[in-house]
Amino acid sequence: MTDAPVLSLRDVALRLDGNAGPVDILHEITLDIARGDTVGLVGPSGSGKSSLLMLMGGLERATGGSVMALGHDLTKLDEDALARFRRNHMGVVFQSFHLIPTMTALENVATPLELAGADDAFDRAEAELEAVGLGARTDHYPAQMSGGEQQRVALARAAAPRPEILLADEPTGNLDGATGEAIMDLLFGLRDRHGATLVLVTHAPELAARCDRVVRLRDGRIEAPEQASQEAAE
Amino acid sequence: MSVSVAARIARRELRGGIRGFRVFLLCLALGVAAIAAVGSVRVSIQDGLNREGAVILGGDGMMQFTYRYADADEKVWMVANSEAYSEIVDFRSMAVVDRAEGPPDRGLTQIKAVDNRYPLKGRVLLEPDIPLSRALDGTNGLPGAVMQQVLIDRLGLSVGDTFRLGTQDFVLSAALTREPDRAGGGFGLGPRTIVRTKDLANSSLLGSGTLFETEYRLSLPEDTDLAALETEAETLFRDKGMRWRDSRNGAPGIARFVDRMGAFLVLVGLAGLAVGGVGVSAAVRAYLDAKTPVIATLKTLGAEGRTIFAAYMLQIGVLTTLGVAAGLLLGAIIPLALAPLIESRLPIPAAFGVHAAPLAEAALYGVLTAVVFTLWPLARTEQVRAAELFRDTTSRKLRLPSTRYLVALGIALVALVGSAIGLSGIPQLASGSVGGIVGALVILMLAAWGIRVLSRRIASARFVRGRSALRLALGAIGGPGNEATSVVLSLGLGLSVLAAVGQIDSNLRTSIAEELPKDAPSYFFVDIQNDQIDSFLERTQNDPGVSRVESAPMLRGIITRINGRPAREVAGDHWVLRGDRGVTYSAAPPLNTTITEGAWWPEDHSGPNQISFADEEARELGLTLGDELTVNILGRDIVGTVTSFRVVDFSTAGIGFILSMNPGALAGAPHTHIATVYADEDAEAALLRDVAGAAPNITAIRVRDAIDRVTEALSGLAAATSYGALATLVTGFVVLIGAAAAGERGRVFEAAVLKTLGATRGRILTSFALRSALLGAAAGGVAIFAGGLAGWAVMTFVMEASYRFEPVSAIAIVFGGALATLLAGLGFALRPLALRPAGVLRARE
Repeated sequence: MTDAPVLSLRDVALRLDGNAGPVDILHEITLDIARGDTVGLVGPSGSGKSSLLMLMGGLERATGGSVMALGHDLTKLDEDALARFRRNHMGVVFQSFHLIPTMTALENVATPLELAGADDAFDRAEAELEAVGLGARTDHYPAQMSGGEQQRVALARAAAPRPEILLADEPTGNLDGATGEAIMDLLFGLRDRHGATLVLVTHAPELAARCDRVVRLRDGRIEAPEQASQEAAE
Repeated sequence: MSVSVAARIARRELRGGIRGFRVFLLCLALGVAAIAAVGSVRVSIQDGLNREGAVILGGDGMMQFTYRYADADEKVWMVANSEAYSEIVDFRSMAVVDRAEGPPDRGLTQIKAVDNRYPLKGRVLLEPDIPLSRALDGTNGLPGAVMQQVLIDRLGLSVGDTFRLGTQDFVLSAALTREPDRAGGGFGLGPRTIVRTKDLANSSLLGSGTLFETEYRLSLPEDTDLAALETEAETLFRDKGMRWRDSRNGAPGIARFVDRMGAFLVLVGLAGLAVGGVGVSAAVRAYLDAKTPVIATLKTLGAEGRTIFAAYMLQIGVLTTLGVAAGLLLGAIIPLALAPLIESRLPIPAAFGVHAAPLAEAALYGVLTAVVFTLWPLARTEQVRAAELFRDTTSRKLRLPSTRYLVALGIALVALVGSAIGLSGIPQLASGSVGGIVGALVILMLAAWGIRVLSRRIASARFVRGRSALRLALGAIGGPGNEATSVVLSLGLGLSVLAAVGQIDSNLRTSIAEELPKDAPSYFFVDIQNDQIDSFLERTQNDPGVSRVESAPMLRGIITRINGRPAREVAGDHWVLRGDRGVTYSAAPPLNTTITEGAWWPEDHSGPNQISFADEEARELGLTLGDELTVNILGRDIVGTVTSFRVVDFSTAGIGFILSMNPGALAGAPHTHIATVYADEDAEAALLRDVAGAAPNITAIRVRDAIDRVTEALSGLAAATSYGALATLVTGFVVLIGAAAAGERGRVFEAAVLKTLGATRGRILTSFALRSALLGAAAGGVAIFAGGLAGWAVMTFVMEASYRFEPVSAIAIVFGGALATLLAGLGFALRPLALRPAGVLRARE
């Protein structure tokens, strides 16, 4: 069973109710991601990359098909069960960091560990911040840090519980080039250190190039590999 | 779920400060403070009444009789059971001051005739400060008297001047500034004069049949069992018309009034708390909305819904504790700070201090209100999904919170309503008030929904095209967000309470000031002796200025038994049985009498005694034709059979007797006559002079003055209620400001976009102003409807009077509502107008 994919999506569809009526975001997505893989999700704006990532993280519920993660069908779990699943198996990094403004860097990182019932939450959080180069900023609040520093805290927070799956939604989107590169080094470094499966949404080709595998989306569908490579050549 | 994790998250979240909770804290603190303050004053007065019960009563125990003195048996009993007793005679009369020129001045006064032992308890204070005994000794061979300053001024007297009571002259020795037992007495129509009983011997007052009361105040040994003594006295003397009171409840009238008034004001305070609850709910909603990304992040990190609920519930719990504590502090301090002012306006001593019970009651209401109004928004934190981090889901469908929260909400609501009804002591009025508040909230919620739907419709209608300010205003009211609902609910409920008070107050005033005098007589004359009635009628009936004169024999009696059994056992504690009532006799039914059942006795009836009873009261007492009543008059039992019921209308202020008998039954008993005279105002002075000149013992009561006294008392009630309603309105205004402040962020963005699109500041301001004024007027409109409905219900079911819609106060309320919202709205429109759009829009990216 060790060869079973970590993430397995079958005929997944996502339809959302908008103000102007229902909108189809994703259609017939079928995709397997193996343990330890690094997958880049790319495509133009509005192609459904972030939505697909949300489905993988159980942050959004598919309106069709099935989303299996580590053998659990995420479409069958309720909100609390999804939360527990993420707590135990997943780390998520956002473009806008989403740190909790009233918590220090250390507390932000410690929170998922506390939620998981870890006794040494703060020690581990401190070590994690040390690992991302923020050992001296543990008592700082998000508002007192730069964008790059905030994203490093977010990375530490995502990695702290040692998740089997790391999901990152344009983690460098809000950062300048040099900072973004440093963040990506950290992200890949964390992945390598913990051996997690990494799924990454990005617009940056050089970032996608660092992934083992690239999945292209257009209009809510996965493009055929040949079509994708043709486009890449163009 | 780990509570400790939730607690840690809560603690960290609260580090952000309580800035967003100013409205929450203020609303809760104001509501709790109002209830705690009213409750504290109530308990302070009750404690004062209990502590000073003996002083207020004038003795440890008291035996009262109506127009008779205690007989030998009763006096023997008093001597045997008390250390000392003092005899007081209380009646109304006219104080007369002769003038060298012109007619004498006359003033109605309530006379207290005392013996040398008065007062047994407490001290009478006089100005100049001399002992009462010296003041009553008099000077120059004339007995002395003391009088309340208001009557001294009215009669133009000075200390040392003489005046007359009946046919006896008195010298005014001092002004009466404090009468220790003032609150123990009933409702007096005139200011007080104190004289010695023995000095009235030659006054020709207190003749046979005169309406007077005697009170025997007893000084009892310390270890007296008051309850046992009361039982003994009642067993022995009750059937002879004795009424017992003791220091356990020195001023039952005032105690009951304070209790009722306090309870009523607590209910008004609860309305304030409900308004505050709307603010509390809006504040929590706004806070949690702002926390959506944090909640979604926590969910992303693996927090379960219950952990998140617990974390935010703990925060709200801490804030509730703070708000309630602040309210209790205020509610305890305000009465202490205002104690001198309140005490100076009370006829009784109050024991001001910090009282635990009313504070606990206020805290209970505060906590339950917070639970009722915050549980729903708190429960919705469970519905926040991690996906909120990726997309704005404000358009997500509203789902009901899960069953466990709905059940908890139901329990809290029942507990709140139950405690309000249970603790008020006036369950019926409390149920009505709570029902009214809930009803008003439901109507307001429906109205808010309706206003939003209507605004949305009108905003897209053809006729508003080109009127951009109006269209924007309507669009904003009908658009997403909760400002419209918050404003309509908070202001609407505050205005509804005020409207209800306004409607009731104006209706009461109208019925007293306009309707009554149309039918009311100008004067009541009492204590007309049998040998004076003919000349009195001759003088009045022959006066061309007098349109009508009615007179009737007047006795007072207590209904002691119904069909041989104690009356209260048969008919309960009905007001007719509570004390002595006017009783009359007549051979023929008075003019315009409507007999509803049975028949009046023949004019020459000489058989067994017959009784005609007031129809409505008879039904309430459960009387039927043929019932046998025992009436104690002057210590004598008179038994008669009810042979007819008739309509007695007390609302016309004319003569109305609950009980009338055939002449044979009563004519032998000593009695006087009562008369009502309907006269032109021009004829009144001469009539009064002639009647008083011929018969100084007759007391004239000007109906207009009596009505003024009642109106005065009602004004005090209306003022107290208005203060309560005002507290509700202030809370409403705080909520309004909170709603306007919460909407400021949206307005900043809106103003920036509109400016970018070319709107001038004037046009934007007009749109903001229109939005506020429309919402305010809508809240006012609903308030008129809800307030009118409450006013109608109170007038119809509580006051049993007719209701008429009063437009003046109603219009003032709509105008006030629009103005209040406009001011609050405009106060928060200035910053959005002042900001440069580029900065705002960039920050929004």
